[in-house]
Amino acid sequence: MDNLKNTARALLQPLMAIIVGLIAGAIAIAVVGGSVFETYGEMWKGAFGSFYFFTNTLSRATPIILIGLGVALAFRAGFFNMGSEGQMVLGALSAAVTAIYLPGPGWLRLIAALVAGIVAGGLWSALAGWLDAKFRMNLLITTLLLNYVAVLFAGYIVSYPLKDKSGSAAMAQTVMIDKAAWLPKLFPGMSLHAGFILAAAGAILLALFMRHTVGGYEVRMLGGNPLFAGYGGVKRGQMMIYSMLASGGFAGLAGAGEVLGTQYRYLDNALTAPSYAWSGIMATLLAGSNPLGTALAAVLLAALQTGGMGVERNTSVPLEVSSIIQAVLILFISARFTYSYFKKKKKKAGASNGPTV
Amino acid sequence: MDQLFDVSLFASTLRMVTPILLAALGGALCSRVGLFNVGLEGLILIGAFSAIVGNHLTGNVWLAVLFAIVCVSVFSALMAYMSIHLKANIIVVGISLNFLAAGLTTFSLRAIFNVKGAFYDKDMVGLPKWDIPLLKDIPWLGDVVSGHSPLVYLSIVLVFVLQYYLFKSVSGFRLLAAGENPTAARSLGIKVTRIQYGAILMCGVLCALAGAQLSLGQVTMFTEGMTAGRGFIALVATMLGQSSPLGVLGSSMLFGLMDALSTRLQGFAVPVHFTMMLPYLVTIVAMFFFKDKSYMQEARKANESSR
Amino acid sequence: MLLQLDKITKSYGTVTANREVDFSLRAGEIHALVGENGAGKTTLMRILYGMETPTSGSIAVQGEEKHFSSPTDAIRSKIGMVHQHFMLFPSFTVAENIVIGREPSKAVGFDRKEAAAQTEALARQYGMPVDPWQKVEDCSLGMQQRVEILKVLHQGAEIIILDEPTAVLTPLEVKELLVAIKALSAKGKSFILISHKLQEIMEVADRITVLRDGRVTGTVNAEDTNVEELSRLMVGRDLVEMIRETPNPGKTVLEVKGLTIRGGQLHPALNDVNLHVRAGEIVGIAGISGNGQSELLQAVSGLLNPDEGDVLLLGESMKGQSVRTIRERGMAHIPEDRYQWGVAKGASVMENGLMGHYRKYQRNGILRGSAIRKLVSGWVQQFGIKTGSIHTKAQNLSGGNLQKLIVARELAQNTPFLIAAEPTRGVDVGAMEIIHGELLKKRAEQGAILLVSSELTEILKLSDRILVMNEGRIVGELSAESATEQQISLLMAGGKAVG
Repeated sequence: MDNLKNTARALLQPLMAIIVGLIAGAIAIAVVGGSVFETYGEMWKGAFGSFYFFTNTLSRATPIILIGLGVALAFRAGFFNMGSEGQMVLGALSAAVTAIYLPGPGWLRLIAALVAGIVAGGLWSALAGWLDAKFRMNLLITTLLLNYVAVLFAGYIVSYPLKDKSGSAAMAQTVMIDKAAWLPKLFPGMSLHAGFILAAAGAILLALFMRHTVGGYEVRMLGGNPLFAGYGGVKRGQMMIYSMLASGGFAGLAGAGEVLGTQYRYLDNALTAPSYAWSGIMATLLAGSNPLGTALAAVLLAALQTGGMGVERNTSVPLEVSSIIQAVLILFISARFTYSYFKKKKKKAGASNGPTV
Repeated sequence: MDQLFDVSLFASTLRMVTPILLAALGGALCSRVGLFNVGLEGLILIGAFSAIVGNHLTGNVWLAVLFAIVCVSVFSALMAYMSIHLKANIIVVGISLNFLAAGLTTFSLRAIFNVKGAFYDKDMVGLPKWDIPLLKDIPWLGDVVSGHSPLVYLSIVLVFVLQYYLFKSVSGFRLLAAGENPTAARSLGIKVTRIQYGAILMCGVLCALAGAQLSLGQVTMFTEGMTAGRGFIALVATMLGQSSPLGVLGSSMLFGLMDALSTRLQGFAVPVHFTMMLPYLVTIVAMFFFKDKSYMQEARKANESSR
Repeated sequence: MLLQLDKITKSYGTVTANREVDFSLRAGEIHALVGENGAGKTTLMRILYGMETPTSGSIAVQGEEKHFSSPTDAIRSKIGMVHQHFMLFPSFTVAENIVIGREPSKAVGFDRKEAAAQTEALARQYGMPVDPWQKVEDCSLGMQQRVEILKVLHQGAEIIILDEPTAVLTPLEVKELLVAIKALSAKGKSFILISHKLQEIMEVADRITVLRDGRVTGTVNAEDTNVEELSRLMVGRDLVEMIRETPNPGKTVLEVKGLTIRGGQLHPALNDVNLHVRAGEIVGIAGISGNGQSELLQAVSGLLNPDEGDVLLLGESMKGQSVRTIRERGMAHIPEDRYQWGVAKGASVMENGLMGHYRKYQRNGILRGSAIRKLVSGWVQQFGIKTGSIHTKAQNLSGGNLQKLIVARELAQNTPFLIAAEPTRGVDVGAMEIIHGELLKKRAEQGAILLVSSELTEILKLSDRILVMNEGRIVGELSAESATEQQISLLMAGGKAVG
């Protein structure tokens, strides 16, 4: 009974937010003089209109899912990890460097590159966790600032020491990874690669981990009330570093997946321009840090983005209309209208509420 | 080093510090009433963009600033409504607002100016440069202090106004009370909610000015994401300055100097990546010396017994 | 009649906190409102002070009907309230705290000198000396209470509500307060005094109204009644005297040696504390809250690292050990504030019950779901915890039921040593009897229990030995048979005048 009601309520909120987001999008479309129905039709076609577009959407969703999962883990433990971008970029760079310069057979280099990506992203993220646990440096802000440091550092590496000098174009990028170390494509001629399998598996595993394991229990209690968790024997400092390590690991894997499955090299700005990291954070917010929900939300956001491209191709409405829909979606879900409504009805006097993430 | 630390460096420090200082003052007001405003970044961005739009529409730079204030106020009011009225987690609202600001400015850039990435109009007039009589004739100091946009001077004046307001006026006293112990303030009939709304709205106005300085102060243009983390640096400045206007002035100056230095160093033989990293690295190092409120206090507040 | 409450009813959904309550106050009178926890005293006063609106009924001040929608309205009708949890601003000065809401000003500026002058004048007028420039956080609790009363007087109150004013005071401060109340009432101020300490009530009140389950069970003149009659009115029956077996203490389970924690404002939070608890023994720590009990418990349970000294559990030093290790070595802990330390409100009953147990109910890191469900369901039945199901969120449980869940969880750890801090704070009589019974059962099973409570009756009822804490020190030890409330009170005050 309780469960059913909770699920219904949990579903109602994102649904309402989506509707509000679409209304906001409609207003934006109308403002620039487009036809609302035609535009939304093109958006649907651009995202799901054919098998090609569908796999294209899933392909775009892949890094968003992985990043979202990492952020969800950290949020659940009560830590606002905003550093996915830097973690992803360092993961991507490490994966590229490993795949290019490590000797050995292709499969080994592929696995080593994926691991390198996870480790690099994880360590960068754990650094912020350590700074907070040890020196009480606000994690939300350090992770944000470390993004800039990581992105600029990676930019420097591919602009100077490891720059691909063979090509004629003066692009800031590494040389191409040898084909043997690529992540395989799932369907011939489509952009979807094996990283999607990793992302889907990651979502299921994280969901099981959160629900059924000791570690997942500790994470949830820590996020619920850190004093209670500490009183019961959960070590906050240690958990902070571990969960940030795992959180950054997901982001690093996202970066590695893109390098090994799509770009085949580290190209400056290739990962930051589509703002995968911020979409990942949005997906997490949208799903209230539920792992499976995060994966679904990531697909939704990816669909909005690929759909936006369809809109751009076939109508006069700019593709940025999807960023408006996304942002309004997030803003309105954070308020949890229905939730606060229920709560107000329940107890008017009690003015206490913890984090709603 | 003579070349590095010259007059123009300090003059540009003063220019660079203004957006950070204005936003940090807004952040300080919010933090004094117990609201951790992560949305500064988005508010500045909206301010920067709407100032350009206002300038484009009216052709008058003062109306443009006013337009920016009105636009940002709409968003800060939304933020206040969500976090105070609907009791949404203020951090989540702040993050969402940053997304909204990024999306909305990018979209509007396309919708209004039909350009991507950046908008620049050579006919557009930016904020005037004011020469301060008497001061401008003092060697060195005159070159540093004189010839800035009015917002630069306004920000310095605001520091002292706010300092007086918070620590010497009755209304400021009540604002501090509302932040220190909202339950007690409420029991005395102090309108805590109204004060919190006021603080966020005022913060919005300050962020609008910060944005206007950014887009109209130096070069008259808007680029996507032109705030480049300044809102977050302002947040750190707020924390470092212990949310007191004079303290915020000091910490903002430090970050402004780093900002100016970073631009300046690009003329030297250092890779641009490292010079650009400087403000962020210095901010992180500065955070090391400031201890955040412990999670224990936060958790205690969040889990107060509802007796 | 100065004040008249007529048939006040207040219900929250299905719960009725006040049912047709009549209450009146004459000018210059001290009228006490007594009742058990949860009887509806505080709700009634919140209604009078405009913090709640009644479901039905009316309020009249000097014959004029009033509708209060906020404290401002009540203050305007010359009603002031001193809350149980002080409503002060710690970093502000005494004068600032007193004048807030009606600050003297020069132009737009806040005239702090004038505020101090007004404070001094007020203090002189009512014979309650304070230092206007002192920060409230540096004041003793007795002094803070004085600031609260002066604040209410500064607002011009004629009717003053005092909610449990003596809960945090030393016995000497209590005496001073009672004298001050009498003096003020002689000057024409009227008081409503909320308390459940009948002795104090009898000392000072003119009339007494008793509330039980939200209803008035009687209004009597203080001269015509006695403590026995009042407690019958309060509880509705004569309380059963609990039978205590004679203690049979075994080996030492917990030993605290020279424990010191610095960092208090006026004195160290803990100052060279030594104590031991043996198996089959309940050692009670009495003291006014805020005298180092919290720090002692946190240090013993591993949440706080002491500056000096050591804690030995079963003969082993626990210095620098984590909470987890100490729990595994044999400690369970009923925390002093259940909402802060005892639960995660957003998690389910089952998840809250699992804390501290989850390392036992796992295989290779996977939680054993069915075993856990059986465990927690067992407690729900055994302790009569009222909850929808074990998947209900903890925040939907009442305070008493949540406390029973915590007690069940900690007793089920089956450890040789148990900390019981304020085990019955804010729970009803029924839950209190269950919890007390369980603690005594644990003692009979040779458990060692360290009991900390600010309720003297609880300490006297359960403890075999009583230690008294004051300003971070143990200032005395008494045996259960010989200890009297009088003796403990004297020790609690530290033997010296405060404030």
